[in-house]
Amino acid sequence: MIGAATLLTIVLMAGVTYLTRIGGYVVLRNRTLSARATAVMEAAPGCVLISVIAPAFVSRNPADLLALAITFVAATRLSMLPTVLIGVASAGLLRHFIR
Amino acid sequence: MSVSEAASSEAIDGGSGSEFRRGVMSCVPVLLGTTPYALVLGAQATQKGLSAVELPLMTGLNFAGGSEFAAIQLWTSPPHIALIVAITFLVNSRHFLMGAALAPFLGHLPQRKAFAALFFLCDESWALGLADAKQRTEAGITPAFSLRYYMGAALAMYLAWVGFTAAGALLGPMLGDVQHYGFDMAFPAVFLVLMRGMWKGMAAARPWLVSLVVAALVYLFVPGAWYVAAGAVSGLASAWLMAGDA
Repeated sequence: MIGAATLLTIVLMAGVTYLTRIGGYVVLRNRTLSARATAVMEAAPGCVLISVIAPAFVSRNPADLLALAITFVAATRLSMLPTVLIGVASAGLLRHFIR
Repeated sequence: MSVSEAASSEAIDGGSGSEFRRGVMSCVPVLLGTTPYALVLGAQATQKGLSAVELPLMTGLNFAGGSEFAAIQLWTSPPHIALIVAITFLVNSRHFLMGAALAPFLGHLPQRKAFAALFFLCDESWALGLADAKQRTEAGITPAFSLRYYMGAALAMYLAWVGFTAAGALLGPMLGDVQHYGFDMAFPAVFLVLMRGMWKGMAAARPWLVSLVVAALVYLFVPGAWYVAAGAVSGLASAWLMAGDA
């Protein structure tokens, strides 16, 4: 059920992933940051999040772009659960009706 | 104390059980989007020859979905170990930034707790934990970072991810294409709501726009997962440069 090469790959994957997880904390936990570095750190969460979802903004499917626009508007005024429900429902419906 | 008083004080800084539960509940909308992805990953893994034991081993030890999708796309039998490990590192390199953003909030934790909590760091648990810590900072609550809230969100995410990837591996052949139902839009929705919570005006958001444009262009013109790294790094570089204006 478990191959040796597969097991080795999985263990090494887990190792490098854990290194990325503790890296920022290990390097920064005992430092005080300059104003400039603080500005960078404050921008970091948004930069990472928007980069991860960037492909959705350049979809070639008009239904996906329209659903994203609806989701975007919902996100500016509603809380998490209604926004997610509106996003999923609009994507599902628009993909069904716009081809 | 009335029920509403109890509820509101719990919402801010209640007992340990309620903090954990608050974390689990905040993760529920996220799970709507996660579950279909987990099933798809499981189904794809079986097509590449991974067993219903091997895949949950991967998702349980590695617990970073993007890198697991990349690994499965590249999977051969036997696997190219160096390639897959290198791609895993590349896809997950954003964790360095995420850990750095979280580090100032983890100062009150003993190291062993911080290292254990960081094992469960994923896009969603990090974003929820960080957003909550910033809200608690503004409300004047110390410590700002609620470990139990974070662990509630993180463990809900972890169990759902490992459980549903395993289920996908078992049920794979029976599942159709779940993408068609729009569940993938849950991730942009969650991330956009979280970013609204971090909104500090147009000037502070300029680096986000740089990240979006660069990540989108790299995604369109460069194959692979480089767009996340390119978008994040260019946004940070612009934040570094713009900090001089202020």
